[in-house]
Order: sequence, then structure tokens, then C-alpha cells
Amino acid sequence: MEIKFESIEGRSRSYYLLLSVLAAMAVAGGLATWYVIEKGIWVTGMTNRIPWGIQITLAVYYIGLSAGSLVISGLYGVFGKLEYKPFARLAVFVAMLFLIAGLLSILTDQGRMDRVFVEPFVHFNLQSMFSINPLLYNGHILICVIYLWALFKEKKALTKVVATLAFGWAFCVHSGTGAIFGFGARVLYESPLLPASFVAAAMASGTALMIVMIVGLFKVTKRHVDDALILWLGKFLAVCLLVVVYFLAAENAYRAYVVELRDAAIYFLFEGFHAWLFWGGLIFAGCCLPLLILFHGRLGKSIRWIVFASLLVVFGVLCERYVIVFPGLTHPPDMFPGMEIVGAGLQEGVVDYTISIVEIVQALGVFGVIGFFFVWGLKAFELLPTEARVLALRAPAESANPESGAGV
Amino acid sequence: MDRRDFLKTAGGSVLAGTSCVYAFRFLIASDSGGPTAETPTSCRRWGMVINLDKCLEDCTACLSACRNENNVAHHGDARWDIHWIRKVRLVKKHTENLGKQVLLMCNHCDNPPCAQVCPVQATYKRDDGIVIVDHHRCIGCRYCMIACPYNARFFNFRENEDWPNRDFPKRSHGVAEACTLCAHRLERGLKPACVDACEAQGAGALTVGNLNDAGSEVSQLIARNPVKRIREDLGTEPKIYYIGL
Repeated sequence: MEIKFESIEGRSRSYYLLLSVLAAMAVAGGLATWYVIEKGIWVTGMTNRIPWGIQITLAVYYIGLSAGSLVISGLYGVFGKLEYKPFARLAVFVAMLFLIAGLLSILTDQGRMDRVFVEPFVHFNLQSMFSINPLLYNGHILICVIYLWALFKEKKALTKVVATLAFGWAFCVHSGTGAIFGFGARVLYESPLLPASFVAAAMASGTALMIVMIVGLFKVTKRHVDDALILWLGKFLAVCLLVVVYFLAAENAYRAYVVELRDAAIYFLFEGFHAWLFWGGLIFAGCCLPLLILFHGRLGKSIRWIVFASLLVVFGVLCERYVIVFPGLTHPPDMFPGMEIVGAGLQEGVVDYTISIVEIVQALGVFGVIGFFFVWGLKAFELLPTEARVLALRAPAESANPESGAGV
Repeated sequence: MDRRDFLKTAGGSVLAGTSCVYAFRFLIASDSGGPTAETPTSCRRWGMVINLDKCLEDCTACLSACRNENNVAHHGDARWDIHWIRKVRLVKKHTENLGKQVLLMCNHCDNPPCAQVCPVQATYKRDDGIVIVDHHRCIGCRYCMIACPYNARFFNFRENEDWPNRDFPKRSHGVAEACTLCAHRLERGLKPACVDACEAQGAGALTVGNLNDAGSEVSQLIARNPVKRIREDLGTEPKIYYIGL
């Protein structure tokens, strides 16, 4: 049976209201960025000891969501799971937008945004992850555009090729992003495991986001999606989460075990605001609770609970990004092992970081931009299928499935 | 012109051209001037020795001299103030002792991590070993600050209003910077501002010179004293040597 795609009507009042809200957020973000350009980056609350802030954290988060979403599209494109074809266009479109969000976040974080479009291309430095990553990011967007085109035109052979390329590329994109924080000179930025754990977290958060979006969008646009499809995604999410937990355990066990890293491990795990986010946000809310739900006999089969677990994972991975970026900065480089630096000029030792309003408005602005294009895209392109069924593609004998509980 | 004449003329021209180039390069090299005028610029490798035993307690002459010479931003806020050189106290962890005062600055590493990560090659190591930032190229990504294991890189988070030395540029907000070892002064045969200021105080704790010249004062100090560099184990090959650390 042929899968039909249909754009949304997009004539309701709430549709235009949503577009207006997102546009307003984008404008506010633009104004905040203009303010930063005029006054200097100090208004964002970043300092000489905390040179990266929320924008970089969110850039990494968005890029993860992008890579993860693309993996979902790969279920059809690479592995030929036809029942996931209905979600392929949406997944690629979301992957493209999130990567643009990542790039926008990075762009608005630069001290001299005016030079970003020329200097990195003229004075390319292959030794820098910051030079290699834009190649990966821009390549990712380009691949997404071709992938989307192949999906729209129903070009099966091209889809297979581009999907496979995109699948591999997504791994590189996120490994490259992880390498920025794994191959650093700081105690908490040194981990060869980080690129791999970044990929695992990206797949978890991307899958979780796709579950939330699919269920939400199909419900709002009154389209049918078979529960079995979401249940399988839930199981896939659970496996991704287990990998995330394994990497977290391995990384922190190493830090706690090696004597010279132990102080940093104690700081990371038990001191400051980030420790609360690590244990409360990432471990409990982002990993343990969703795993309990997803592996639970009854809850794991309820679409509502799976969506709830997915929301928790999306939040948990955001916390993960925070605890990767900030403790590595607030904890000082170990210049004199066994010694403490005391001085009044620069903030020495462990420092605090407070998120500023300007950063939040900038971040909302970036979200507003991609949100606007996403909502507009739902109307402009045929991204959503009229329905998503397991049964439509299977033999009639398999089609009797009495276990479709909480339909959306 | 037959083949023999052609070969003679061509061979002669190549020989003459090559000789001119070498003669020109020799002339440039021997006309470089500076504290070690006998050494060609490309063979120099600037380094510094900081003798902490000579550093006067509570003296900040080098800090002020650096700030005034290089228009280093001071906003009166530790979060955004820039320090090309700073004075701190080292205290053994979990003890109450007063510790030892130490001067910290860019180490002008031979393997500078800041230059490695710079996506636009705005930070680079010059032939004479000085690690420097091209402020007209820096995009302000601050990756160099993350990569520097010495907390010696700073960022112009705010506009610098002070401009005491009009002969030297100040930097706009949005670019990174660090100590240049007063490269502009070394090129004129002068010592860095901090070294001059320290000598004016009668302390003489700071010495700058050519590490490639075994007879230079820095090389002699390194040879005759037990010296340390900060975190040598990182493989960055710092060129700031400490006596009494």
C-alpha cells in the first residue's frame, strides 16, 4: 500500500498564533544578540574563567538532537524498515533544523560574528576541532537537503545511498562535537570516551524527541499512528539509554579510580549546582526513571508513559550537556598539582557560574527561528503521512493486532 | 644561438640568480639589530627566566608596566580584567601556610595548544618562538582559552576605555589576547616592559633572551640554576623558566 504524505492545512487561529509567538521569540533573540554585539560578551555573564556559556551548551545539545533524529530516518533509509518510512521526511527535516539551530547558537556566541563567514574558510586549520566540525556540520545540512529531496521525489536508490552516508555522517558529526570536550587540556575535559558517549546520548535524545514529536504531531493533526511503531521506538530508546548509563559509569569510575583525577571526580560528582543536575536531572530523571518506565511490563506498553519517559530523556540529556560543559570550566586547570593558587587578579580556584537573562533570550531566539521554520515547513511541505501503520505494509495474516491500547 | 651557448647562458643566469638570493638573505640576516645582533632573527628563540627568590614581596611594578605598555584592559572586576602577567600565591593544599608568590604569564610554548585549536590560525607561533594573536583575524570563539593549560589566555569581554600608550594599539571587545613578550619592543632592541620595570626596582628577577644562544644570559641562568617549567609533563614545552619555584 502506498504511503501518502500531506501537508497540514495551517489556517487555524492557533496555527498563526504559534507562528507569531515563535517569530516574536526569534526577534527577541535577535535583539539580545545585537545587545551582546554592542556591549560585549560580558553581558551574557561569561568571564575569563568561564569562557563558554549556555549558547555552546545548547549548540551541543541541538547537534545531538539532530544526529539522533537522523538515526530515526535511517531506520527506513538504511535498514529498510518500511514501517518507519512515514517518519523519515519529518526526521530528516527536524535533523536539518536542529543542526541549523546548533550553528546559530555557535554563531551568536562568537566575539566577532562579522568575521565568522570569511576567516574560518580563508585560514583553515586542520589541527583544530573547531575547523573540522564546521565541515561536518555544513556537510550534514547539505546531506539532509539531498536526503529530503530524494525522499520527496521517492528516489529509492538515491535515498538508500544518501541515507547511509547521512547515518555515518551523523556519527562523525557528534563524535567531532564530543571531541571538543574530550580532547581538552582540562581535567574534566580529558576523556577519549566522550565522543562515543556523546553519540549514545545523541541517539537517546534524538529518539526521545522523535517519539514526542510523532505522537504529539499525529494527535494534533488527527492522524493515526500504530502503537506498535511507538512501542518499538520506546524499546530502542531504552537500549540507547543503557549505553548512555554504561558510558557514564565507565567514565566516572575511571576518574574516581585514578589518584590524580580523584579530586576532580569528587568535585564533578558531589560539589556544586552541576552535581544536582547530574544526579537529579541526568541519572534519576533522565536515565533511571525512563528505564524503569520503558522496561515496566504495563507502563512500557502505554504510549502516554513512553512519551513521558521520552520527555524525561530529552530533559536528562540537556542536563548531561550542562554537566559536560560547565564543571570542566568552573574546575581550574591543575597547574601546580598538590598546590592551590590564591590571587586577587583573576578568579582562581573553583568558580561559580550563573545563567544570565541575556543568554536565555538568545537561546529562546534560536529556538524561535527553527521553531518558526518547522511550523511553517509542516504547511509548506508534505512532511507528515496521512497515517502510519504497521499493518499496511505487512501480509494480511499478520495484520490482526488486537493490542493497540491508548491510540492517539 | 646554438645549444652550447644556450646552456652556458642559462647555467650562468641560474648561478648568478641563486648567488644574489643567498647574498640578499645574508645581508638581511646580519642587519637585524637587537640585543643579540649577531643572531639571525629566524634562529632566535625568545624565552624568559623568572627568579622567584629575587621577586620582591608585594611589588607589582612589572604588572603595572605591562598594563601601561600594552594597554591591557582593567575594568576593576576580576571576572573580566585582563592580565598578561599576574602575581599569585601558591599554597600547599589543606595547609594554612602563607605559601610562595609566583608570577604567571603566557608560557610561549613551543607546542602551543592555543595555536593548535585556533580555527582561523589567528594565534600562531612566530619563527622566534613568541606565541601571538592576530587581533584582526580572531573570531572570538575562545577555544584557545579552553585549550590553554595555564589560564594565560584572556578575552576582551568589554570595551577597553583606557589607552595609556598611544604608540601601541588597544584591542576591540570580542577578541582574545595574551602576553606577547613585548615583541614590539624586542624588535626595536628593547627589553619587555616587565623586565625593565623589575630592573628599575633593583630586583632583576626577570631576564629575557635568546634560548638558542648558549651564551645568552637566559641560557646561562638555565644552565647554572635548578629551573622548573610549569606542567612540563604536558609536552607543551613552555619557554618561561622559574628559579625558586
